[in-house]
Amino acid sequence: MQAKTLSLAVALSMAPGLLRAQFEFKLDDRDVQIHSFASEGFALTNQNNYLTMNTTSGAFFTDFGFNVTSNVTDKLRVGAQVYDRDIGHLQEWHPDLDWAAVDYRLADWFGIRAGKVKTALGLYNQTQDQEFVQTWALMPQAVYPLDLRSRTLTHTGLDIYGHVGLHRAGSFGYTVYAGTRPNDTRDGLYYGWASMGYPNNAFTGKMAGVDLRWTPPVTGLMLGGSYAPINDKYHFTDMVNGPVPVAGTLNSTTMWIASAYGEYSKGKWRFDAEYRRDYSKYSQVDPDPGQTEPWWYSDKGWFASAVYQLSRQIEIGAYHSRYYFDVHSFPDPSTHYIRDSVVTMHWSVNRFTSVKVEGHFMDGTGDPWASHSFYDADNSQGLKPTTNMLVLRVGYSL
Amino acid sequence: MKCLKCSFTLAAAGFLMVTSARAGDVKVVANNSVAVSSISADDLIGVFLMTKSSLGGGHVEPVVEQGGPAHEGFLKDYIHKTAQALQNYYRSQLLAGNASMPKILASDAEVVEYVAKTKGAIGYVAAGASAAGVKTLEVK
Repeated sequence: MQAKTLSLAVALSMAPGLLRAQFEFKLDDRDVQIHSFASEGFALTNQNNYLTMNTTSGAFFTDFGFNVTSNVTDKLRVGAQVYDRDIGHLQEWHPDLDWAAVDYRLADWFGIRAGKVKTALGLYNQTQDQEFVQTWALMPQAVYPLDLRSRTLTHTGLDIYGHVGLHRAGSFGYTVYAGTRPNDTRDGLYYGWASMGYPNNAFTGKMAGVDLRWTPPVTGLMLGGSYAPINDKYHFTDMVNGPVPVAGTLNSTTMWIASAYGEYSKGKWRFDAEYRRDYSKYSQVDPDPGQTEPWWYSDKGWFASAVYQLSRQIEIGAYHSRYYFDVHSFPDPSTHYIRDSVVTMHWSVNRFTSVKVEGHFMDGTGDPWASHSFYDADNSQGLKPTTNMLVLRVGYSL
Repeated sequence: MKCLKCSFTLAAAGFLMVTSARAGDVKVVANNSVAVSSISADDLIGVFLMTKSSLGGGHVEPVVEQGGPAHEGFLKDYIHKTAQALQNYYRSQLLAGNASMPKILASDAEVVEYVAKTKGAIGYVAAGASAAGVKTLEVK
């Protein structure tokens, strides 16, 4: 708790510095923009510890980022962003190069982006860390889990993107990409497996995919879909089944993520929804139990939300999200799920600061193998079936 | 019945007057290098949402006002987003690595001054504001 208190104090003391850290200057007659953002959150649950934090006693969580961007020419842009966070056992103040890319936009309909790039997948994958642009203190964890954020957040490779007008049919934007996936040793997957006696030693992965967004000639409406075949390879240690630890591997043979999403805004109302499916089939080699058979699972998650702008500075909203782990092995919806009903109030204090107050009413705790929100290691007394949570979050952005 | 017709006619006329008065509150201005004299409403949205970076074969870039009546009117008439939503859109594009932040200026005078000296710049100001050194684009 002392470390958490210290991190809070550091974060709060950094805020004025961060506010001053935003500026723009000329370099060889080209603008160089520097921006920053930070947030401090507090979560308190009535029972069950959440997202690797000690939320039953009240837990703080923090994140921040710095961004440098410059248009080198009218068509060429370079930029990079550093991001760090401390959420329970997730990341724990180990800064990460969030993205770093060179972007060459030949025409509106054709651009190329290379480097470490945020992956275009679903409605909010690229912006899920940007607390200040979201209504919610916590994004719907069924689709954007904080503990598995890095699994699909970025890839190091190449994007081709563009935007095409369709005259009377509106317009559509596309992104096609391929690359390698990051190895985040401080995410929920490493934490969850290690706590169950199967620590990961290494991970390599690849992904390719396409994201299409159609803006039909209906003001305020956008519909989209994403599909991404991906590839995983884990090296782990089995410390459970044999007398001595032995090395095992887990290789994906078929794996993909698919998403369908939409948003609609009219007047003071905004509605969002997304459905996500994650299919994985692995060949597993673990010498101790002699396992070599294929192993597969399929997750699904969705959310639907509504937001109403009460005034220029205040909006209120609600969402409902549902996550199901391995729908084939556990088809009974009464097990292995998390349902979350959320109400929130978002106050934009000024252009740079926002405050959020949010209530979560959760039913279910998922599955220990899912590495999703609830972990046995953080709940030694056993998980209770329901969880209520209060989240407060203050965000700064420039 | 006649009264009913009169009421409808007056209401329709009133609506049209209000609509045209609102649209007429703002004018779109561009640097003299921009090779068009008019712009469609769809293209205008594209320029300000940064999905469109060229017009008439030349590079263009949006110039945004920080607030004020011209800003409010422009967002309501053409962009169909609130000021907060547009600001969030720009920030999310920047921090996701998809775009730079557009130039954001405090007043009509600053917008006109910047647009006049910046190749490809397109902005908006109040209809009555001076547009010295820039050209006004007709929005179709």
